[in-house]
Amino acid sequence: MSEATFKRFFGYEDAFAHPLTCGVVIGLIVLLLVTPLIFLGLRRFVGVCDSTYTELWSRWRTWIWISVGLIVPILLGAAWVIAGVFVLSLCCFREFARATGIFREKLIGLSAVLGLCLISFAIIDNYPRLFFATPILGIGMIAMVTIPQDRPNGFIQRVALGVMGYLFFGFSLGYLALLTIDPLYRPLILLLLVGVELNDVFAYCTGRLFGGRKLVPNTSPGKTVAGAMGAMVLTCTLTFVVGHYVMFQGTRMDQWHTLLIMGIGISGFGQFGDLLLSSIKRDIGIKDLGHVLPGHGGLLDRFDSLVIITPMYYHFLSVVLGPLGQGQAERIITGGGP
Amino acid sequence: MNGWEFQPARDLSLTGLERWRSLQREHGLFSSVARLVWWFLLRAAFHVWHRPVIVGRELLPLEPPFVLVANHTSHLDALLLASLLPAKWRDNVSPVAASDTFFEKPATAAFAAWILNALAIRRRGVRSHDLSEMREQLARQGAIYIIFPEGTRSRNGEIQTFKSGIGRLVAASAVPVVPCYLDGCYRACPPGARYSKPFRLTVKIGKPMLFEDSPDNRAGWDAIGHLLQSEVERLADGAAEGGQE
Repeated sequence: MSEATFKRFFGYEDAFAHPLTCGVVIGLIVLLLVTPLIFLGLRRFVGVCDSTYTELWSRWRTWIWISVGLIVPILLGAAWVIAGVFVLSLCCFREFARATGIFREKLIGLSAVLGLCLISFAIIDNYPRLFFATPILGIGMIAMVTIPQDRPNGFIQRVALGVMGYLFFGFSLGYLALLTIDPLYRPLILLLLVGVELNDVFAYCTGRLFGGRKLVPNTSPGKTVAGAMGAMVLTCTLTFVVGHYVMFQGTRMDQWHTLLIMGIGISGFGQFGDLLLSSIKRDIGIKDLGHVLPGHGGLLDRFDSLVIITPMYYHFLSVVLGPLGQGQAERIITGGGP
Repeated sequence: MNGWEFQPARDLSLTGLERWRSLQREHGLFSSVARLVWWFLLRAAFHVWHRPVIVGRELLPLEPPFVLVANHTSHLDALLLASLLPAKWRDNVSPVAASDTFFEKPATAAFAAWILNALAIRRRGVRSHDLSEMREQLARQGAIYIIFPEGTRSRNGEIQTFKSGIGRLVAASAVPVVPCYLDGCYRACPPGARYSKPFRLTVKIGKPMLFEDSPDNRAGWDAIGHLLQSEVERLADGAAEGGQE
């Protein structure tokens, strides 16, 4: 392993080298410290009820864990991000499998887990062509494994559910780890995460502020058109300002139209990811996909927005900036060059 | 186009201890793999440490569901009985365990639920809906229960009176009940012992019994308890229908 690769995987010395990383970490710490004061203020001056107050504290505690779980691996190095995304994908697939009932098909679960291992291996190896081949390899495996059991009844449903889970929560989330092939992976990932999470907050706030027509009432009764539009405007503004002044200065991304497209993408596809999971939950007839995160529900209830946007974000950056990770040693384990 | 039929995990809304204690608990791939590894290692350990002798293995039903009933003198009992079943039934086997012993602390509850696939049941005052749930699982999911009708480990190695709970579970059902007698477990690891001594263990398996015609009432439950106790005692006295291995 070359020194540059080792540094990319395990080097934490330059964790705060980029101003965006520094800003996000400081901002998050300040936010987490200030939030309790807001709660106390709400309790004292607005008089929020006990259940809401308890719920707020529960959410705040969970946010601390989420923040630590997201930020620490990013700061420590690419290897930790890859490991973290692998665990996240596994947990998300598990939640989906338990909600849909596909978890009872152990062979399909095993195929999906092997597919997730292959995805992580491709990223560790820095072998993008293998990564892009993992969907078809995984789908083939999921489709094949139950054939020898000679149970054609329900074949389409179990394979489709297995494939859906694998693609959305394995392959799609895997792009988050694939971003680590670029030396600037820390700010790239943080920009996406902050953009997507704030997009949710913007949608909630503007939706509550303006109300009005429901967006897709049968899918997600709480979402409004005003919330979606408000999130779009605010996320585009945020992306434009951060992209222009901090992240992409002097690169081909630093043009108003590319930054605008990225903002619209993060907001739009983030909201579609949210609605995708809402559609799944409504179809199954459940409220939450899990209970791992008190106050939030399951991991998928928190990270649903990333499911569609992450691949789009990666490919958009690759189209505009050129392939990510150029100059990095490829096929570290398998050897043989690209 | 008709919608698909989803069957979410029955314990989807439960977490932690509540989930581990639930009779509606369902496990996925990870616990299946963990269980397979655990039982493989346990079986190997039994063979090396206790060299168990199984008498009448061929009398076991060919397919689940069924209930294994045995005398209870040691924590080894459930492990020994479960370890002699084929690996393909690993996810079907559920030792029925006292909730006040195995499901109080998170660590033991997690181990009992995840690895042993044990079902938590109240030692005193078993709730009727718990028994209904267990009966339903036997019929629907092809479960294999390991039950010790004495309710607790014998403190002197002798067989104690079988309680009627087993009767409530199997009366008027077509589920076979297999009486077993475990010998040597008390000597190897009696109540209070921290480690198991390397004594030979013997499992005598009796003929499966059916209680389809037993009345599902107090008299019927008591009769089933007595019948199973006398069958286990008969095995203890040396009667055995099957071959030795």
